[in-house]
Amino acid sequence: METRSENEPEVDIKASEIKYLSYGGEHHLPLIMNLVDEELSEPYSIFTYRYFVYLWPQLSFLAFHNGKCIGTVVCKMGEHRGTFRGYIAMLVVLKPYRGKGIATELVTRSIKVMMESGCEEVTLEAEVTNKGALALYGRLGFIRAKRLFRYYLNGVDAFRLKLLFPRREPEPFDSMASVDDESHEYNEHIHCGENPSCCQHSM
Amino acid sequence: MVDVSEAVKGDSKVPICPSIPSGEQTVWANASSLLHLACNDLRDGELIYGENFNLFAAMSALEIMDPKMDSGMVRTYYSVDEAIEYGAAPIPLSLDKTVDVQRIIDIMDHLLACEATWHKGCSLAQTVFSCLYLLRPDRTSSHALLHSYCRVMRATCNAVVCTVSDTRTNEEEDLFTMTHGLPLKVDGDDKCLTMLHAVEETIARQLRACKATLSKKRVTEDIEPLQNNPDLEEGLCKSLLCQLRFRKHFYHVVMNIKRPQGRGLELAKKHIACCFEELDSMIKSADFLRSISAPEDGMKNETTASGCQPVGFDSTLNSRLSAPTPPRAIETISWKKAAEYFQKLLHELEIICSYNLDPVFEGLLRFVVEFQKLRPELVARAHLQHLLVQDGKLYGRDSVFSVICKASLLPEVAKNHDIQKIEPVVQLGQLLITLLRVLCTNISWQRRKLGKILQDWRIIHVQLELAFRKECGDISATSSNENICMKICRHILIWVEEQTYWIASRFLMLGFELDLYSPGEYCMVYWYMYIILIKLAEKTHMRAMTSNDISKKKGKKKRDLVKEGGKDYQLPPAILFLQCHVYLAEGLTMMLAALRNERQMYVSTGPFNTEHERFVQHFELLLKACLPDHVSYYSFVETTAHAHLSNTAMYNCFKGAQRIAKELRSSFSNDPDKMAELRRIEQVAEHNSVALGLISRLGAVDASLKVQFEFSHHPFFATAVVKRS
Repeated sequence: METRSENEPEVDIKASEIKYLSYGGEHHLPLIMNLVDEELSEPYSIFTYRYFVYLWPQLSFLAFHNGKCIGTVVCKMGEHRGTFRGYIAMLVVLKPYRGKGIATELVTRSIKVMMESGCEEVTLEAEVTNKGALALYGRLGFIRAKRLFRYYLNGVDAFRLKLLFPRREPEPFDSMASVDDESHEYNEHIHCGENPSCCQHSM
Repeated sequence: MVDVSEAVKGDSKVPICPSIPSGEQTVWANASSLLHLACNDLRDGELIYGENFNLFAAMSALEIMDPKMDSGMVRTYYSVDEAIEYGAAPIPLSLDKTVDVQRIIDIMDHLLACEATWHKGCSLAQTVFSCLYLLRPDRTSSHALLHSYCRVMRATCNAVVCTVSDTRTNEEEDLFTMTHGLPLKVDGDDKCLTMLHAVEETIARQLRACKATLSKKRVTEDIEPLQNNPDLEEGLCKSLLCQLRFRKHFYHVVMNIKRPQGRGLELAKKHIACCFEELDSMIKSADFLRSISAPEDGMKNETTASGCQPVGFDSTLNSRLSAPTPPRAIETISWKKAAEYFQKLLHELEIICSYNLDPVFEGLLRFVVEFQKLRPELVARAHLQHLLVQDGKLYGRDSVFSVICKASLLPEVAKNHDIQKIEPVVQLGQLLITLLRVLCTNISWQRRKLGKILQDWRIIHVQLELAFRKECGDISATSSNENICMKICRHILIWVEEQTYWIASRFLMLGFELDLYSPGEYCMVYWYMYIILIKLAEKTHMRAMTSNDISKKKGKKKRDLVKEGGKDYQLPPAILFLQCHVYLAEGLTMMLAALRNERQMYVSTGPFNTEHERFVQHFELLLKACLPDHVSYYSFVETTAHAHLSNTAMYNCFKGAQRIAKELRSSFSNDPDKMAELRRIEQVAEHNSVALGLISRLGAVDASLKVQFEFSHHPFFATAVVKRS
């Protein structure tokens, strides 16, 4: 999906003034929706938000400054072709608050929960032009696994970023590598105006 | 969210519906009451969660009346007929003949912009077929000029759709061929050229008459002018003529370029030259069109040369036809950008038409790789693929097995051997065709597919080996009286391996072009490239040796053979060329490793994982396909752990590349692509050699020295830039 967190420091605040909360219920939903609607280009219906925050409330976090919600992260996790995988769907920090490590903190909290819940890897998509987000995820250890041609509605390509967690017990290498099969990837690949069948061709 | 089971509690009796027969594990029931209960429990925006309600289902939901999602919200008319009824597409466009002509030129310009937008990935329905005149073919018949233009436009789109659908190059771009519900194939459109020719003739005569009048010559024929204003007659006639002629030639291009076995390429090339000329005239006439119009101020994206809004277009009418998912508003590219796009497209098609249909597979691969460097859009790539693969044959001419034989450096007689009928050989042929198709797709998709087919190439090698042994006995032993069957088997097996390593090297190199590697990962990527390139050089060399029957060297360790090039045996230029790349990859690996080991630069760390995980992720497809055997993260660590700046061997890598590149110049003087690559290699080698010297001399005393890696001289071999911070 999308991430927006470019480095443009504008507000003078201390890190200690930012409060982070895990998703706490209905009253948080409009806050998340407003932030995403304001900052990200893709339109999402209320059902998309509910899908995430009701199924995985423990993976969504909000950042507040003086009572105002200034950032949020929305995620999911589940089986994905034999791998238990976390997925970062949306990450937003309001422009004046960027460059202060708020996005890093939000996303780190989600990734920690995913790791503790037994995820083997975490993935997300980010616009290839979004240098801020790419740098942020790069610092956290994500690699650019694939480039997705004209992924977003605005025609921009996306990178699929992936973070592989270390294996808990060493096992022979062979069982580790799993080959992606694109025909099953549509569940994270649909919001760009592409229909699911576009991923079902095989050559 | 409401759990359905909760709702059921209140009304546990769900009436079974006897009229529909039950299946083995299913029974049909009337769920109305259940739904009713659930609805009463739901508030706005709430939803019932079922296990099959996935992200796709959630995201497919639309919010009615939200203009960002509900495409029906923003529309002027409900149907094409209604739009026409309200005068959105009048015929004639104006009762004033001058205005009529001006408006038609605007339509032609806007259609060009729409066509380019379509080629760049939007749906046909929302672009070209936003033109109301195209949507109602019969309506335009009274207006010869408009009618003939609409016909050739539809016919051209249809021809392009056919090529793209046939080739299926549009894997990720499937909006392109979505034409459901559009009048794309209209009776009579196939004869569009006759009609276009007649209209063109009339306007050419009107232009001649106008010129004669201007030079006060006697007019021989009595011709009605194009429009009423004599001052504008010449300019408008000229503008129209280049538009019509561009369409005519472009139609010829798309029809000829796809004739079987490349038979129409010469003719297509001639028409491409004409297209360039007419496009040039169209661009030149823009100033005139602008000077006689009153362009609306503030039109941010001008889709016409005149700057006026075109009449007869409505992109919202067809939005329901454009895609099964909610159609979104699209932005048509400007007329200027569209003209640029067509210049690029024509240039790419010209390259395809100039291709010599190289029967040597290696040459073909190089051509496709060079062609892809132009970043061609879908239409150009589809035409290339159409030329390469027709009826399961290369260029529709050479059987796949004969291509494999030639590539494996087998004698002519081999191509008729019965061994081509055995299953694994047939499958190898299919893999080859698939590879060609993959190489014509956009490079993002291409890289992903190349990564996946590596596994297939590895498996086919094993299968071929088994099958060959069954057919011909022990093929590993070479003897002077080896029969043709054994020879075929041996050659093909080596070639398959070489091809596999070629795919692997392309997979790694494309990662640079797609910007998939970050500087902290360069070291491992160059290391992997280094080992793949060594294997590639080794296999290429083996293939050459097998055909020359230089089997004496067989006992020697192959790796040494490549590394010791030039000592007791002169390696062929093709191998030395690969050796340059091997040296560059090795040099960069060691340089980056040394910077990391001694100066803690380009260290790849993160809070959640280590370099090991990143290595596994980047190369999982190569590792899974055992390319090469026994390679792992630990082999990388072992090679790079002790790299030091003072190590002169790595200095020699760049020197080595430079030396060989210089020597090779004479071998490739007739090959401009290879000469250009040699120049790039020399530049990278020279710069890195100097940079390395600088860092090792000053690095220890000057801590402010910064090293950056840039791709200024080569697309995937980086150049080190040393700076003081």
